[in-house]
Amino acid sequence: MVSSMAEGLIYDIKLSSVGPGTVTEPDMVHEPSDMDLAMKLHYLKVIYYFGKQAFEGLTTLKIKEPLFMVLNYFPVICGRFRRAESGRPYIKCNDCGVRFIEAKCEKTMDEWLEMTKENASLEKYLTPNQIIGPELGFSPTVLLQYTKFKCGGMSVGLSWAHVLGDAFSAAEFLNQLGKVVAGEKPNRPINLAHLKTKSTNSGSPLTNMEDPLSVKRVGPVGDNWMTVNNCKMEAFSFSVNATQLSHLQSKISSNGTDFSPFEALSAVIWQCIAKIRRESEPKVVTICKGMEQNKADGNNQLISVVKAAYPIVEANPGDLAVLMKNAALDQREKIENAIEKDNGVSDFIVYGANLTFTNLEEAKLYEFDYRGEKPSYVSYRVDGVGDEGAVLVLPGPPKNGGRTVMAILPENEVTELKSELKTEWFMI
Amino acid sequence: MPEMLPKYVKLGYQYLVDHILTFLFIPIMAAVSIQILKLGPEEILTIWNSLHFDFVQILCSSFLVTLIATVYFMSKPRSIYLVDYACYKPPITSRVPFWTFMEHSRLILKDNPKSVEFQMRILERSGLGEETSLPPAIHYIPPNPTMEAARGEAEAVIFSAIDTLMQKTSIEPKDIDILIVNCSLFSPTPSLSAMVVNKYKLRSNIKSFNLSGMGCSAGLISIDLARDLLQVHPNSNALVVSTEIITPNYYQGSERAMLLPNCLFRMGGAAILLSNKRGDRNRAKYKLVHVVRTHKGADDKAYKCVYEQEDPQGKVGINLSKDLMIIAGEALKSNITTIGPLVLPASEQLLFLFILIGRKIFNPKWKPYIPDFKQAFEHFCIHSGGRAVIDELQKNLQLSAEHVEASRMTLHRFGNTSSSSLWYELSYIEAKGRMKKGDRIWQIAFGSGFKCNSAVWKCNRRINTPNIGPWQDCIDRYPVHIPEIVKL
Repeated sequence: MVSSMAEGLIYDIKLSSVGPGTVTEPDMVHEPSDMDLAMKLHYLKVIYYFGKQAFEGLTTLKIKEPLFMVLNYFPVICGRFRRAESGRPYIKCNDCGVRFIEAKCEKTMDEWLEMTKENASLEKYLTPNQIIGPELGFSPTVLLQYTKFKCGGMSVGLSWAHVLGDAFSAAEFLNQLGKVVAGEKPNRPINLAHLKTKSTNSGSPLTNMEDPLSVKRVGPVGDNWMTVNNCKMEAFSFSVNATQLSHLQSKISSNGTDFSPFEALSAVIWQCIAKIRRESEPKVVTICKGMEQNKADGNNQLISVVKAAYPIVEANPGDLAVLMKNAALDQREKIENAIEKDNGVSDFIVYGANLTFTNLEEAKLYEFDYRGEKPSYVSYRVDGVGDEGAVLVLPGPPKNGGRTVMAILPENEVTELKSELKTEWFMI
Repeated sequence: MPEMLPKYVKLGYQYLVDHILTFLFIPIMAAVSIQILKLGPEEILTIWNSLHFDFVQILCSSFLVTLIATVYFMSKPRSIYLVDYACYKPPITSRVPFWTFMEHSRLILKDNPKSVEFQMRILERSGLGEETSLPPAIHYIPPNPTMEAARGEAEAVIFSAIDTLMQKTSIEPKDIDILIVNCSLFSPTPSLSAMVVNKYKLRSNIKSFNLSGMGCSAGLISIDLARDLLQVHPNSNALVVSTEIITPNYYQGSERAMLLPNCLFRMGGAAILLSNKRGDRNRAKYKLVHVVRTHKGADDKAYKCVYEQEDPQGKVGINLSKDLMIIAGEALKSNITTIGPLVLPASEQLLFLFILIGRKIFNPKWKPYIPDFKQAFEHFCIHSGGRAVIDELQKNLQLSAEHVEASRMTLHRFGNTSSSSLWYELSYIEAKGRMKKGDRIWQIAFGSGFKCNSAVWKCNRRINTPNIGPWQDCIDRYPVHIPEIVKL
């Protein structure tokens, strides 16, 4: 059992589990939707950095207690995967719980943040990195890592299997935890799972339609739910403050159309990556966006594709932004049909099937407050991204009003993108 | 009608034999009264006057009567009362659902899938529910049993139980005269009883005892000790704390026979206040009637059937032998042989005697008569050592499902909490509102040694359904149906 990582940078690692405080009714199950299953090879990794006051004086038991209480309202994330006779995975809500990891870091939080500016991959030591598998029934879908820094600050690292829900669902879970810590009751119904119904096998609904553009069929991965990449992927992030943002927006706006920060940033990065990739420039990109109306758990993102008919390298970023704004084709139904075709047994990836841009501007990441303290910084990435890469546009720290951009790309592209963004667009 | 006949015959026989003295007394009194009435009032007066009532004679007679009465009352053993008791309610943070246990086991024993399978099969058939508790140190993968963690568990369990008890009885720490703590497998220095004295600042002349190593039946051994001490010390009370500390004793190896206790033993503890004070007579819940202890340690097989030892890898654990149930049955038989004459009504004892004589003299093929203990007791608290123990006793004593309900439900909700399980069961019966004044309770505990100990209590007053107790938030869900094999 690993008790220290990264040459002792992270040490004193202890594993345990936290489940719901009250018992869930027996035989409760949750059947993931087709969209959920399309995302099953992806994992969200979020790190919330808190200052000293948030966790001062709290023992491990005191940190676990509100988790026991909030998990009463999330029986699904406490369950474990099984496969039905048809092979389609479902979750048995058996109260097994989330994995709870305690760790210590020998640096202070400021030192750490400095180190990660240089080497973003260090952040993987602050989130648990366990995938679902090889035994589905013994794999937690949600893992939490609480790392205490030398200065007293604490980072809360969340590993959230995308099959449970999108970034908005993940943020919702921790925001509710914050509420429980503050002594409030979560405003959710207790049991959203249901008793297992007889397998509603509708046969094969649509015969041999082609797979949609936004997904890529992989595998079969069996019970090891992870993406296999042909090249090593690297993550790096940079912030864009409010002034830079407005400057960028005005620079690319044309014909009086305004673009949102997401559209502006995405268009710019699309072009940069096209320049880097030259012949194999990405003509098709996938766009993922949260749906304001749908507050339910699960994967409710609007997934669409944009096809460019002309070479990207020479295009005007403004035109690319217009394409993203207006010419996105909704892919959700096609994805659902692709999954339904063999009843959820096949394996797909969405992020990285094409170059993917995910709009998380509206995600309530900074609303997670712990005893009145908001996180000083939130870092976000997705694991299991395919070879084409993904770019996430996240809200920046509330004080700055800007955006944080996290790019997960093949490692040989990262340096070039960094220099491109620096020289051409004065970001970074 | 033919089936009813033996039943009525049996009922008539029981009524006759149990009240034989009354039946003999009435005809005699009737005969005497008739004789007196025949004589007539003047005759009676003459007889009365003929008895010369000398002053000295009267004085001597009254002295004699007073002397006899005094000797009788002085030599009568003091009545021991159970004022009240409190059971530890584990917090929700200690809860261990089945699948969490299995997953942790799978991760810890990753090289022994067969042992993991074994544990799964045990859990499925164990009779435990999804709300039993393990201490925080055992929740880690792998468990992290430090001395500090063990002390932490002891403090949490014992102090919580004592605090609740003090709240219920309004007793002051300085009023406690005797302190007995029993915890079989954790025996630090200073002892757990010293820990209690330190925490509550008990008097310096307190009589404190710490019993360790005596197994799951140690709870009743402590009660027996308290009773003997309360005979010697007048006007005193005794605080008895029964618990088992899980933290240092969780088996970390992979031998199957030694993994069994990990699946069954759970966190729990109880604090009991006993008293021989006159003032507590009215407010006490129960009166202690008998304690019967049976020790089968002289037999080698019984001695070794629950044995703490090292496995081939040097990991310490408790080995449960396959003969456990047979030995438990034997121990129970011994215990019943002693307790039977003390509690059974005359009718049952006579029947047992007749059949015993019959088997010896006439026909050894007659089935041995199992006395009907349901006539002697209203409630049974059988130590919830495991489903097998409860099944075995239910069969041996011919008890109905309702009689063993307290035991089964305690096993389901709290697991095997060792010496304190009897108190959780008693608490269940009270929480269900089934305890009435005058009800007799039989507590039976088994433990390593091999020992079988019994205690008989009588309910002393009306007991209202308690509003604080380990069952308060879940009693409405009970009784539950526990399937033979739980589908995990």
